[in-house]
Amino acid sequence: MGHLSGERLYEIFARQKREDRLEHIGTVSAPNPELARVYAWKTYDEASWFEMVVAPRDSFRAVNRDELPFTLHPAETA
Amino acid sequence: MSKTRTDVFKSPDALPEPVREALAAMLLSLADNKRVLGMRYGEWILGAPTLEAGIACSAMAQDEWGHARILYATLKDFEFEPTVLEHERPADEYLNSELLDDPATEWPDLLALNLLLDSALSVQVEAMTESSYEPILFKTRKLLEEERFHFEHGRGWAMRLGDMGAGRAALEAAFRKAIGPCLRWFGRPDSGFGRQLVDAGVVNADADELRRRWLERITPVLAEAGLELPETEGKAALEWEGWNADRRRAAEGALDEETLARVRGDRNRSMLMD
Repeated sequence: MGHLSGERLYEIFARQKREDRLEHIGTVSAPNPELARVYAWKTYDEASWFEMVVAPRDSFRAVNRDELPFTLHPAETA
Repeated sequence: MSKTRTDVFKSPDALPEPVREALAAMLLSLADNKRVLGMRYGEWILGAPTLEAGIACSAMAQDEWGHARILYATLKDFEFEPTVLEHERPADEYLNSELLDDPATEWPDLLALNLLLDSALSVQVEAMTESSYEPILFKTRKLLEEERFHFEHGRGWAMRLGDMGAGRAALEAAFRKAIGPCLRWFGRPDSGFGRQLVDAGVVNADADELRRRWLERITPVLAEAGLELPETEGKAALEWEGWNADRRRAAEGALDEETLARVRGDRNRSMLMD
């Protein structure tokens, strides 16, 4: 995903019900956390989420693999 | 007029006539501004600086049109015909701010509408969250929930452009033009219009108090973004020359014909079923 200088990728997690687990639902590119929140909420509006959170992609640390987190999609990991 | 905390108005008929008129005018001003503001957001769906910003504009446009629709519908109780309000008025009967007469040509101009004008409308709506006019109570919550994100969008972009020299200068220039019309939009300090609504408990703040709340909301953002706008400091003298209390604006003029045709849906009129 191309993004502008000064922007970071933010990963979005959400759950529809309190008893659900947070799921990774997508990514947005934003210049700051304030806009990341707005973009996440307005882009991934397919459900009425009980909770949605965002975090910069580069704040995640790979644990068992060398690849950067969020770069491997399910199909590629088979 | 006597006022107690137990006064609740369940319909427009229950309101004293001057209050009813003032409330209808205020609701129509909110509706028209939101209708046209939605159009201005919509014009940036294509061409916003990033895909995400375009999506946000699309969402904000939808929000504003939804709010306008809700507000036009409430005016039905005031014996306005929503179809006429939405589709049949000439440009000079729209109560939109002069800031909305023309499209926002540059992104900072849109941000001025987003952070400044949209917030002014929200401050007015918030003044009705405990309104004595019951039918409006149920409408304000959803509307303000959505508006939180509009404010945050304006704030996030102000911070972003504030970090860039050229961006900051462009934003200051765009905001400088918008501050006066926003401050005035709440009405003259001495207007009977606002006073009637406060006395009846329909709103909880007069024009000066609304101005103070609006400034309280936006000045921390301006500071965060490093913008210098003396217009927002102290009690800047407001120009009231040529003030039109009905349209809540000093400037003459109106929507251009093309925007008007799109706002009213003229080109699709033949598609309307009834």
